[in-house]
This record gives sequence, structure tokens and C-alpha cells, in this order.
Amino acid sequence: MFVSKSMTQKVITLERDASIFEAQELMFKNRVRHIPVVDNDNILIGIVTDRDIRTAMPYDLFKDPENAAARNSVTCLKVRDIMTINPITIQPTHTIQDALLMILKQKVGAFPVVDDKHQLKGIISVRDLLRAFANVLGIGQPGTLLGIIAKEKVGQLKIIVDAITAKNISIGSILVARYWEKDKRAVFPYLLTNNVGPIKRDLQALGYTLIDPMDWCLDEIPK
Amino acid sequence: MNKTGYVHDNRYLLHDTGPYHPENPDRLMAIFDGIKSGGLLDKLTIIPARPAEMKWISSIHPEHYIHRFEEVCLSGNREFCSADNQMCVSTYETAILAVGGVLEACRMVMAGELDNAFCAVRPPGHHAEESLAMGFCYFNNVAIAARYLQEEWGVERVGIIDFDVHHGNGTQRIFEEDPSVFYYSIHQHPSFAFPGTGREFEAGNASGQGYTKNSPVLPGKGDEEYKRLVENDMIPVFKEFKPDVLIVSTGFDAHEDDDMSDVELTTHGFSWIMRKIMGIGWQYASGRVISVLEGGYCIERLPELARNHMRILMGEETD
Repeated sequence: MFVSKSMTQKVITLERDASIFEAQELMFKNRVRHIPVVDNDNILIGIVTDRDIRTAMPYDLFKDPENAAARNSVTCLKVRDIMTINPITIQPTHTIQDALLMILKQKVGAFPVVDDKHQLKGIISVRDLLRAFANVLGIGQPGTLLGIIAKEKVGQLKIIVDAITAKNISIGSILVARYWEKDKRAVFPYLLTNNVGPIKRDLQALGYTLIDPMDWCLDEIPK
Repeated sequence: MNKTGYVHDNRYLLHDTGPYHPENPDRLMAIFDGIKSGGLLDKLTIIPARPAEMKWISSIHPEHYIHRFEEVCLSGNREFCSADNQMCVSTYETAILAVGGVLEACRMVMAGELDNAFCAVRPPGHHAEESLAMGFCYFNNVAIAARYLQEEWGVERVGIIDFDVHHGNGTQRIFEEDPSVFYYSIHQHPSFAFPGTGREFEAGNASGQGYTKNSPVLPGKGDEEYKRLVENDMIPVFKEFKPDVLIVSTGFDAHEDDDMSDVELTTHGFSWIMRKIMGIGWQYASGRVISVLEGGYCIERLPELARNHMRILMGEETD
């Protein structure tokens, strides 16, 4: 689960003397919002984001991107003038859990990935983490999700998995989320089958409550 | 009254999925009972099963897939591709008969011998992709029918309406780059139901962009939501597309009493949808509607659902 496995390795970079128009075009063309700025040895010196560019652009250019006078007023602006110097970085040997928690804490959209010598190795963005999450959910494979309330005590998952296995059903993934009632967990097995009627009845016979699909949630907005 | 065909044959019972499987021969018996008890049999043209010509099956499924299916089946293996696809030694042959029955119904409608038809066949087809059996499906009956109509009868635009509660991933995939076949599906939302595809943003690719439309329905929703989506999504797309023929993937599993889904369509809701489909059929396709059975597992409800479905095809009043 290392950052090196999930990061984008072919990074688009800029030099510090590039114009902000060049940065804007690169972002537009490659559909990215973060571009690391490096020196000749590929050492990271900053990062420029689409927000940096928008902030730097005069209002007249928003109204008319071809406005010559407004363009002239910013042609002298270089990436080095608007970039964030010494951005928060992450190392390839950090884990994606580290990246997830850091993104939540720092409220940024991406981290440049650098080695010990501060050389740029990649970039990991919210989108890379989402891709990993989509993979873990297993939603690329055909199947059916169930939602089950289980007591927060040892052995609950085993009972659920045994019941599923007894029905000869393969499991694509199992998510466990906090439930809004104390001492309970919401368990979401993703079953690789169309035929979930019998297993639903078995689980209910074992005393489990199936959660109404309209009440399923992985995370509630903090009150 | 319309001339309506009914593809019905006891050989469709030979595909044995073993005990406790929802897709079982009892479904067709229940459908037959419903049609018979409504006194409809005498007014229908019964179309017996017949094997499909292999060239039509291979217009959708590659030879290697067809051969593998045949081999796995005849070797006595009980499952193909996944544990959902339980089978017996007659399954391969029955699947060929299912395609054949649907193609014969298409032929009779195109030749003017019938106005429309309901094909009560097994195994179903809409989950089957070119080289993958899944969700109880082996050959994609409706996809093969669409190609047959185009290649044998020169039909330009085929409309497919799929109201089975599960998204027809196979049919969508087969035609997602094809602007000559419009695939519309209304089904339980993929985050809550098999197979997990059929999201609103899936709308066709490449030159088929805009020729696929999906209307997901949230759990617990019923007639009102279906009516809203049929009016706002289904009718406008076919008004624009103007199909020459309509093929319907008919699944009765969105019924409130069917435990394969969490949506709650009533018997009346099903009739309402089918009347709207017939309206599109008459408006654009000279009434040429070929309905093909997919899912529907509530044995107690299948008789009334099939009876109403048939009556609407025949142009009669429903219960």
C-alpha cells in the first residue's frame, strides 16, 4: 500500500521561469490541477495549482481571454512568482493511508512525491486515492452489495462470511463502517452474484438485521 | 385485436439450474398458467421453439465462446463462467432454442404474419456479454435478434427497452458504440443491485454516444418513480430515435413481491409501462414489438403479470 504503487509516475513539470500562460495551457491540455516545479536536476522547488493561476489572472482576462492589454499585464508573470515554495511532500515509501490522512488534514488536492534528495518521483492526487478506493470497493465486477448490522465484538465477520461461503458465493469485498448506534458496525459484503435472496434469508435467520438500502452509509457528515 | 405470437415450448423447461435457483422452469409454467387461465391461448399464435442458425448466434458471440459453452455443458459441468450460471447437460441446446424462438417471432412479425409477440424463453439473455455468461444468461437473445433484424430484414434502427429490474450490461456493452441500436434501460440503481452497471452517466461511446440511456431507480421507489422516468426519459429518447422495430427485455422482477429487488412496482405499474411501450411501438414501428422474457422470480405473481403483458400486446383490457 505504498504511495509508489498508486502515484502518477509520468509527472508533467514546469521550470520556474515558465510563463503562467504555459502553465495554464499544460493544465488544460492534460486535465490536471497541480504541476510540480523542478530545477534542472529534477529537484522539487515548488508547486503551481490552477487556483494560483486564477488568482494571478486579472479580471479583464476572465471576461475576454484574448484581451491584449490584460495579457500584456501578466506576460511578465512567471511560475516562480505564483508557485507555492516548499510544498508539503510525501515519500514513495509512505503508505496510501498516510496520503489519505494527510490530504484530509492539510486540505490540499495532491502531494508531490519526492525521495530523500528531494528529487521528484511522482505525484499523488485525490483522484489517485479515489481510484484505489474504487478498486477496493470491487465495483468493476458484477455483484450485489448487502448491508448488515453486526455487534462490535469478535467473531461477527466470521459468522457472516461462513454463511456466505455456505451458499457458494464469492466475495468481491467487505467494507466495515461505523454505525450510528453504539457498539454496532455496518458490514457491507459485495457478493459476486445476482442471487442474494437465499443468503439474505440465512443472515436474518442467524439474527442479523439487514439495513434498509436507503439508510446505507459509509460515513455521516459530522454534526 | 392484434395478431400476437407466444413463443412457448416445454423444451425451455429442460435447462435445469438445480435446486434453490431462482431462474427455474417453474417460472415458465407460472407464465403459461396465467395466460391459459385468462382464456388467451385460443387467440394467440403459439410459436414452438426451434434451433437458431449458428450464423446469427455468432453475429454477437465469438466462436471460441460458443464452443467453450458447448464443451463445458456437454462435459456435465454444473456451472459456466460463475456459480450464478448453473446448468445441466441440456442447457446449451436450450439456449440455442431460446435464440431460435426469438428469431422466429421476429421473422413472423417482419413477414407480417404477426403484429407482435411475447417470447417466454429460458435461459434469459440480457446479462450475457460477447464472451461472458453471467447473471443466469448465456446467449444474449435480444442482441442477436437486433442483429438478425438488421441483417436479414434490412431494419435500420432497432430500439431496445429493458425494464428488467437488473441492468442489461450485456446488451448495453454490445451496442454501446452502435448508433443504429438504441438501448434504454430502467432498473434498480446499480449501487443497490446486480450487476453494478447502468449508471446515468453511461450513455454510449464513440459513434454510439447518446444511443444508450439508463434510468436508475432507488430502492423503495415504485409506480410513481417509474412513471416519472418513463415520461421524462424513455418516451423522449424514442421520440427522437424513431425505432423501426422495438425489442423489449421483459423482466417481472421489479414487482413489489419479488425478493430479487428492493423496488416496488405494482402489477398495475407493469401494465402502465407496457402500454407506454406499445404506444411507442405503434407510433414509430408500425406496432412491431417483440417482447423477450428476462427475469421475474415471484412464482405467485408471474401468472397475472404475464397475462396482463400478453393482453396489452393483444390490445385487450387488463385486469
